[in-house]
Amino acid sequence: MCEWCGCGQPEEHHGHSHNHNHSKIIELNKSILEENNKIALKNKEHIEALGAVGINFISSPGSGKTTLLQETIKRLKPRTKIGVIEGDIETQRDAQRIREQKVPVVQLTTGGACHLDARLVHKGIHQLEHELDDNNLDFLFIENVGNLVCPASFYLGEHKRVVLVSVPEGSDKPAKYPKAFIDADLFIISKIDLLDYFDFSIDEAKEEALKLNPKLDIICLSSVTGKGMDEWINYLLNLIKKE
Amino acid sequence: MHELSLAQALIDQVKLLLKEHNANKVLRISVEIGPFSGIVIDSFEFGYYALIKEEPSFIDSKLEIITPPALYQCVFCGRKFKEDELTKDKRCPFCKDSFLTPVGDGDILLKEVEME
Repeated sequence: MCEWCGCGQPEEHHGHSHNHNHSKIIELNKSILEENNKIALKNKEHIEALGAVGINFISSPGSGKTTLLQETIKRLKPRTKIGVIEGDIETQRDAQRIREQKVPVVQLTTGGACHLDARLVHKGIHQLEHELDDNNLDFLFIENVGNLVCPASFYLGEHKRVVLVSVPEGSDKPAKYPKAFIDADLFIISKIDLLDYFDFSIDEAKEEALKLNPKLDIICLSSVTGKGMDEWINYLLNLIKKE
Repeated sequence: MHELSLAQALIDQVKLLLKEHNANKVLRISVEIGPFSGIVIDSFEFGYYALIKEEPSFIDSKLEIITPPALYQCVFCGRKFKEDELTKDKRCPFCKDSFLTPVGDGDILLKEVEME
Protein backbone atom coordinates (compact mmCIF):
# COMPACT_ATOMS: atom_id res chain seq x y z
CA MET A 1 0.00 0.00 0.00
CA CYS A 2 1.20 3.45 -0.81
CA GLU A 3 2.04 5.18 2.44
CA TRP A 4 1.74 8.59 0.90
CA CYS A 5 -1.89 8.45 -0.01
CA GLY A 6 -3.04 5.14 1.44
CA CYS A 7 -4.77 4.28 -1.84
CA GLY A 8 -4.02 0.57 -1.79
CA GLN A 9 -1.92 0.57 -4.99
CA PRO A 10 1.64 -0.73 -4.92
CA GLU A 11 4.00 2.11 -4.13
CA GLU A 12 6.23 1.68 -7.21
CA HIS A 13 3.20 2.25 -9.41
CA HIS A 14 3.02 5.90 -8.80
CA GLY A 15 5.22 8.87 -8.12
CA HIS A 16 2.17 10.79 -6.96
CA SER A 17 1.50 12.43 -10.25
CA HIS A 18 -1.32 10.06 -11.15
CA ASN A 19 -4.91 11.09 -10.66
CA HIS A 20 -6.45 9.68 -7.55
CA ASN A 21 -10.01 9.24 -8.62
CA HIS A 22 -10.87 8.01 -5.15
CA SER A 23 -10.00 11.21 -3.34
CA LYS A 24 -11.25 14.66 -4.11
CA ILE A 25 -10.24 18.09 -3.00
CA ILE A 26 -12.91 20.64 -2.33
CA GLU A 27 -11.83 24.23 -2.33
CA LEU A 28 -13.71 26.63 -0.12
CA ASN A 29 -13.13 29.94 1.47
CA LYS A 30 -15.59 29.77 4.21
CA SER A 31 -15.36 31.16 7.71
CA ILE A 32 -15.54 28.58 10.44
CA LEU A 33 -17.58 31.15 12.30
CA GLU A 34 -20.07 31.34 9.43
CA GLU A 35 -22.72 29.30 11.24
CA ASN A 36 -22.37 31.54 14.30
CA ASN A 37 -22.48 34.67 12.15
CA LYS A 38 -25.63 33.55 10.32
CA ILE A 39 -27.45 33.08 13.62
CA ALA A 40 -26.05 36.42 14.82
CA LEU A 41 -27.60 38.21 11.84
CA LYS A 42 -30.96 36.61 12.73
CA ASN A 43 -30.46 37.86 16.29
CA LYS A 44 -29.87 41.34 14.94
CA GLU A 45 -33.15 41.21 13.01
CA HIS A 46 -34.88 39.91 16.09
CA ILE A 47 -33.48 42.73 18.26
CA GLU A 48 -34.59 45.26 15.64
CA ALA A 49 -38.07 43.71 15.52
CA LEU A 50 -38.31 44.49 19.22
CA GLY A 51 -37.40 48.07 18.35
CA ALA A 52 -34.12 47.86 20.25
CA VAL A 53 -30.44 48.58 19.84
CA GLY A 54 -28.25 45.67 20.99
CA ILE A 55 -25.09 46.35 22.99
CA ASN A 56 -22.51 43.65 23.74
CA PHE A 57 -20.27 44.33 26.77
CA ILE A 58 -16.87 42.62 26.77
CA SER A 59 -14.19 42.83 29.46
CA SER A 60 -12.15 40.77 31.88
CA PRO A 61 -13.80 39.66 35.12
CA GLY A 62 -14.11 42.43 37.69
CA SER A 63 -13.78 45.45 35.43
CA GLY A 64 -17.20 46.71 36.48
CA LYS A 65 -19.60 45.60 33.74
CA THR A 66 -22.47 44.73 36.07
CA THR A 67 -22.03 47.83 38.23
CA LEU A 68 -21.94 50.02 35.13
CA LEU A 69 -25.13 48.32 33.92
CA GLN A 70 -26.84 48.93 37.26
CA GLU A 71 -25.92 52.62 37.18
CA THR A 72 -26.90 52.90 33.50
CA ILE A 73 -30.30 51.34 34.13
CA LYS A 74 -30.92 53.72 37.05
CA ARG A 75 -30.38 56.69 34.74
CA LEU A 76 -32.14 55.35 31.65
CA LYS A 77 -35.07 53.54 33.16
CA PRO A 78 -37.34 56.55 33.66
CA ARG A 79 -37.26 57.33 29.93
CA THR A 80 -36.42 54.09 28.06
CA LYS A 81 -37.28 50.39 28.04
CA ILE A 82 -34.41 48.08 28.81
CA GLY A 83 -33.87 44.34 28.61
CA VAL A 84 -30.73 42.54 29.79
CA ILE A 85 -29.08 39.24 28.91
CA GLU A 86 -26.45 38.19 31.44
CA GLY A 87 -23.77 35.71 30.41
CA ASP A 88 -21.87 33.85 33.10
CA ILE A 89 -20.16 30.53 33.48
CA GLU A 90 -22.19 29.74 36.58
CA THR A 91 -24.74 31.28 38.99
CA GLN A 92 -27.61 33.77 38.77
CA ARG A 93 -25.77 36.42 40.78
CA ASP A 94 -25.40 39.05 38.08
CA ALA A 95 -28.98 38.58 36.91
CA GLN A 96 -30.11 38.99 40.51
CA ARG A 97 -28.29 42.33 40.75
CA ILE A 98 -29.99 43.53 37.55
CA ARG A 99 -33.39 42.13 38.58
CA GLU A 100 -33.29 44.37 41.64
CA GLN A 101 -33.54 47.29 39.20
CA LYS A 102 -36.91 45.91 38.04
CA VAL A 103 -36.01 45.39 34.40
CA PRO A 104 -36.52 42.15 32.42
CA VAL A 105 -33.40 40.02 32.62
CA VAL A 106 -32.35 36.57 31.46
CA GLN A 107 -29.34 34.74 32.83
CA LEU A 108 -27.46 32.51 30.38
CA THR A 109 -25.07 30.14 32.09
CA THR A 110 -22.58 28.68 29.65
CA GLY A 111 -21.69 25.78 31.94
CA GLY A 112 -17.97 26.24 31.55
CA ALA A 113 -17.69 27.87 28.13
CA CYS A 114 -15.67 31.06 28.19
CA HIS A 115 -17.87 33.16 25.89
CA LEU A 116 -21.42 33.69 24.66
CA ASP A 117 -22.15 32.59 21.11
CA ALA A 118 -24.97 33.58 18.79
CA ARG A 119 -26.94 30.39 19.41
CA LEU A 120 -27.06 31.01 23.17
CA VAL A 121 -28.07 34.63 22.67
CA HIS A 122 -30.81 33.53 20.26
CA LYS A 123 -32.17 31.39 23.09
CA GLY A 124 -31.74 34.30 25.49
CA ILE A 125 -33.76 36.71 23.34
CA HIS A 126 -36.66 34.24 23.19
CA GLN A 127 -36.53 33.78 26.95
CA LEU A 128 -36.46 37.53 27.44
CA GLU A 129 -39.59 37.95 25.33
CA HIS A 130 -41.53 35.98 27.96
CA GLU A 131 -40.59 38.68 30.47
CA LEU A 132 -41.77 41.59 28.32
CA ASP A 133 -45.34 42.91 28.48
CA ASP A 134 -45.49 44.28 24.94
CA ASN A 135 -42.45 43.00 22.97
CA ASN A 136 -41.03 46.46 22.80
CA LEU A 137 -37.58 47.63 23.95
CA ASP A 138 -35.19 50.52 23.40
CA PHE A 139 -32.03 48.77 24.59
CA LEU A 140 -30.95 45.17 24.82
CA PHE A 141 -27.81 45.00 26.94
CA ILE A 142 -25.83 41.77 26.64
CA GLU A 143 -23.21 41.29 29.33
CA ASN A 144 -20.72 38.75 28.02
CA VAL A 145 -18.77 36.26 30.15
CA GLY A 146 -15.89 38.05 31.90
CA ASN A 147 -13.00 37.35 29.53
CA LEU A 148 -11.08 39.71 27.27
CA VAL A 149 -10.03 37.02 24.78
CA CYS A 150 -12.67 34.54 23.64
CA PRO A 151 -15.86 36.67 23.47
CA ALA A 152 -14.11 38.89 20.90
CA SER A 153 -14.33 36.14 18.25
CA PHE A 154 -18.09 35.67 18.46
CA TYR A 155 -20.45 38.16 16.86
CA LEU A 156 -23.78 37.98 18.65
CA GLY A 157 -25.85 40.27 16.43
CA GLU A 158 -25.21 43.40 18.47
CA HIS A 159 -25.30 46.90 16.98
CA LYS A 160 -22.49 48.17 19.16
CA ARG A 161 -19.69 46.36 20.89
CA VAL A 162 -18.34 47.96 24.04
CA VAL A 163 -15.03 46.89 25.55
CA LEU A 164 -14.19 47.90 29.13
CA VAL A 165 -10.86 48.15 30.89
CA SER A 166 -10.76 49.27 34.51
CA VAL A 167 -7.99 51.35 36.02
CA PRO A 168 -6.63 48.58 38.31
CA GLU A 169 -6.10 46.32 35.26
CA GLY A 170 -3.45 48.56 33.73
CA SER A 171 -3.20 50.69 30.60
CA ASP A 172 -1.33 48.04 28.60
CA LYS A 173 -4.50 45.95 28.10
CA PRO A 174 -5.29 47.17 24.54
CA ALA A 175 -1.79 46.26 23.36
CA LYS A 176 -1.99 42.85 25.03
CA TYR A 177 -5.50 41.91 23.91
CA PRO A 178 -5.77 43.46 20.43
CA LYS A 179 -8.69 41.44 19.05
CA ALA A 180 -11.12 42.78 21.66
CA PHE A 181 -10.33 46.35 20.55
CA ILE A 182 -10.07 45.82 16.79
CA ASP A 183 -13.74 44.81 16.56
CA ALA A 184 -15.14 47.16 19.22
CA ASP A 185 -17.09 50.38 18.65
CA LEU A 186 -16.60 51.96 22.05
CA PHE A 187 -13.83 51.64 24.62
CA ILE A 188 -14.79 52.47 28.20
CA ILE A 189 -12.06 53.13 30.74
CA SER A 190 -13.85 52.37 34.01
CA LYS A 191 -13.14 53.02 37.71
CA ILE A 192 -11.39 56.32 37.01
CA ASP A 193 -12.04 57.25 40.66
CA LEU A 194 -9.04 54.96 41.37
CA LEU A 195 -6.56 56.79 39.11
CA ASP A 196 -4.66 58.22 42.09
CA TYR A 197 -3.93 54.77 43.46
CA PHE A 198 -2.77 52.94 40.35
CA ASP A 199 -0.09 53.44 37.76
CA PHE A 200 -2.57 53.78 34.89
CA SER A 201 -1.92 56.12 31.97
CA ILE A 202 -5.12 57.17 30.21
CA ASP A 203 -3.01 58.53 27.34
CA GLU A 204 -1.26 55.20 26.85
CA ALA A 205 -4.52 53.23 26.95
CA LYS A 206 -6.14 55.61 24.45
CA GLU A 207 -3.17 55.66 22.10
CA GLU A 208 -2.75 51.88 22.06
CA ALA A 209 -6.47 51.35 21.48
CA LEU A 210 -6.62 53.92 18.66
CA LYS A 211 -3.62 52.31 16.96
CA LEU A 212 -5.59 49.09 16.80
CA ASN A 213 -8.81 50.75 15.76
CA PRO A 214 -8.68 54.42 14.70
CA LYS A 215 -12.50 54.63 14.58
CA LEU A 216 -12.93 53.64 18.23
CA ASP A 217 -14.92 55.97 20.47
CA ILE A 218 -13.52 56.32 24.00
CA ILE A 219 -15.25 57.31 27.25
CA CYS A 220 -13.63 57.49 30.71
CA LEU A 221 -16.01 57.05 33.62
CA SER A 222 -16.64 55.98 37.18
CA SER A 223 -19.84 54.20 38.14
CA VAL A 224 -19.14 55.12 41.77
CA THR A 225 -18.64 58.90 41.53
CA GLY A 226 -20.75 59.30 38.38
CA LYS A 227 -17.96 61.12 36.53
CA GLY A 228 -18.27 60.54 32.78
CA MET A 229 -21.69 58.92 33.14
CA ASP A 230 -23.47 61.76 31.32
CA GLU A 231 -21.25 61.27 28.27
CA TRP A 232 -22.00 57.53 28.30
CA ILE A 233 -25.77 58.05 28.71
CA ASN A 234 -25.74 60.57 25.85
CA TYR A 235 -23.83 58.08 23.70
CA LEU A 236 -26.60 55.54 24.32
CA LEU A 237 -29.46 57.98 23.79
CA ASN A 238 -27.97 59.07 20.48
CA LEU A 239 -28.08 55.47 19.30
CA ILE A 240 -31.83 55.24 19.69
CA LYS A 241 -32.34 58.68 18.16
CA LYS A 242 -30.65 57.53 14.94
CA GLU A 243 -32.52 54.25 14.77
CA MET B 1 -10.22 28.11 25.42
CA HIS B 2 -12.65 29.11 22.67
CA GLU B 3 -10.35 27.16 20.36
CA LEU B 4 -12.22 24.01 21.33
CA SER B 5 -15.56 25.53 20.23
CA LEU B 6 -13.93 26.59 16.97
CA ALA B 7 -12.48 23.12 16.35
CA GLN B 8 -15.95 21.67 16.96
CA ALA B 9 -17.46 24.17 14.52
CA LEU B 10 -14.88 23.13 11.93
CA ILE B 11 -15.67 19.43 12.37
CA ASP B 12 -19.42 20.11 12.10
CA GLN B 13 -18.89 22.07 8.91
CA VAL B 14 -16.73 19.35 7.33
CA LYS B 15 -19.26 16.66 8.32
CA LEU B 16 -21.87 18.48 6.23
CA LEU B 17 -19.42 18.57 3.31
CA LEU B 18 -18.82 14.83 3.58
CA LYS B 19 -22.54 14.22 3.27
CA GLU B 20 -22.89 16.70 0.44
CA HIS B 21 -20.13 14.98 -1.57
CA ASN B 22 -21.03 11.41 -0.66
CA ALA B 23 -17.64 10.84 0.89
CA ASN B 24 -16.97 9.01 4.13
CA LYS B 25 -13.41 9.80 5.06
CA VAL B 26 -11.55 13.05 5.59
CA LEU B 27 -7.87 12.98 4.57
CA ARG B 28 -6.82 16.56 4.98
CA ILE B 29 -8.31 19.85 6.10
CA SER B 30 -6.65 23.13 5.32
CA VAL B 31 -7.49 26.11 7.51
CA GLU B 32 -6.26 29.68 7.38
CA ILE B 33 -5.99 31.50 10.71
CA GLY B 34 -5.70 35.27 10.38
CA PRO B 35 -2.94 37.05 12.29
CA PHE B 36 -5.44 39.09 14.30
CA SER B 37 -7.87 36.31 15.07
CA GLY B 38 -6.85 35.96 18.72
CA ILE B 39 -6.71 32.19 18.21
CA VAL B 40 -3.91 30.16 19.77
CA ILE B 41 -2.88 27.73 17.06
CA ASP B 42 -1.49 25.08 19.43
CA SER B 43 -4.76 25.05 21.38
CA PHE B 44 -6.77 24.84 18.17
CA GLU B 45 -4.74 21.84 16.95
CA PHE B 46 -4.93 20.23 20.37
CA GLY B 47 -8.72 20.69 20.38
CA TYR B 48 -9.07 19.31 16.86
CA TYR B 49 -7.08 16.15 17.48
CA ALA B 50 -8.83 15.58 20.82
CA LEU B 51 -12.28 15.91 19.27
CA ILE B 52 -11.67 13.69 16.23
CA LYS B 53 -10.97 10.73 18.50
CA GLU B 54 -14.74 10.47 18.69
CA GLU B 55 -15.20 10.87 14.93
CA PRO B 56 -14.42 7.70 12.92
CA SER B 57 -14.46 9.49 9.55
CA PHE B 58 -11.86 12.00 10.75
CA ILE B 59 -9.58 9.72 12.66
CA ASP B 60 -6.74 9.63 10.07
CA SER B 61 -7.13 13.22 8.92
CA LYS B 62 -4.37 15.77 8.87
CA LEU B 63 -5.00 19.37 9.90
CA GLU B 64 -3.01 21.87 7.87
CA ILE B 65 -2.83 25.41 9.19
CA ILE B 66 -1.87 28.39 7.05
CA THR B 67 -0.86 31.57 8.86
CA PRO B 68 -0.64 34.64 6.63
CA PRO B 69 1.67 37.37 7.93
CA ALA B 70 0.37 40.33 9.90
CA LEU B 71 0.16 43.53 7.88
CA TYR B 72 0.26 47.03 9.29
CA GLN B 73 -0.74 50.33 7.79
CA CYS B 74 0.84 53.61 8.72
CA VAL B 75 -1.90 56.06 9.64
CA PHE B 76 0.38 58.95 8.69
CA CYS B 77 1.64 57.97 5.19
CA GLY B 78 -0.95 55.29 4.39
CA ARG B 79 1.54 52.65 3.24
CA LYS B 80 1.17 48.97 4.16
CA PHE B 81 3.95 46.60 5.18
CA LYS B 82 4.63 43.31 6.93
CA GLU B 83 5.52 43.01 10.58
CA ASP B 84 9.15 42.09 9.82
CA GLU B 85 9.58 45.28 7.80
CA LEU B 86 8.98 47.50 10.85
CA THR B 87 11.92 49.44 12.20
CA LYS B 88 13.53 48.15 15.39
CA ASP B 89 11.49 50.53 17.53
CA LYS B 90 8.27 49.39 15.77
CA ARG B 91 7.86 52.34 13.45
CA CYS B 92 6.79 52.72 9.81
CA PRO B 93 9.72 51.70 7.56
CA PHE B 94 8.90 54.54 5.14
CA CYS B 95 8.12 57.64 7.19
CA LYS B 96 9.17 56.41 10.69
CA ASP B 97 5.85 57.37 12.23
CA SER B 98 4.75 55.22 15.16
CA PHE B 99 1.01 55.32 14.61
CA LEU B 100 0.40 51.97 12.92
CA THR B 101 -2.85 50.11 12.61
CA PRO B 102 -3.24 46.37 11.91
CA VAL B 103 -4.80 45.37 8.61
CA GLY B 104 -5.44 41.78 7.80
CA ASP B 105 -7.67 39.05 8.73
CA GLY B 106 -9.09 38.33 12.13
CA ASP B 107 -11.08 35.45 10.75
CA ILE B 108 -10.56 31.69 10.62
CA LEU B 109 -11.27 30.21 7.20
CA LEU B 110 -11.84 26.70 5.96
CA LYS B 111 -9.82 26.70 2.72
CA GLU B 112 -9.74 23.14 1.44
CA VAL B 113 -10.92 19.66 2.33
CA GLU B 114 -9.55 16.47 0.83
CA MET B 115 -11.88 13.51 1.22
CA GLU B 116 -12.69 10.15 -0.22
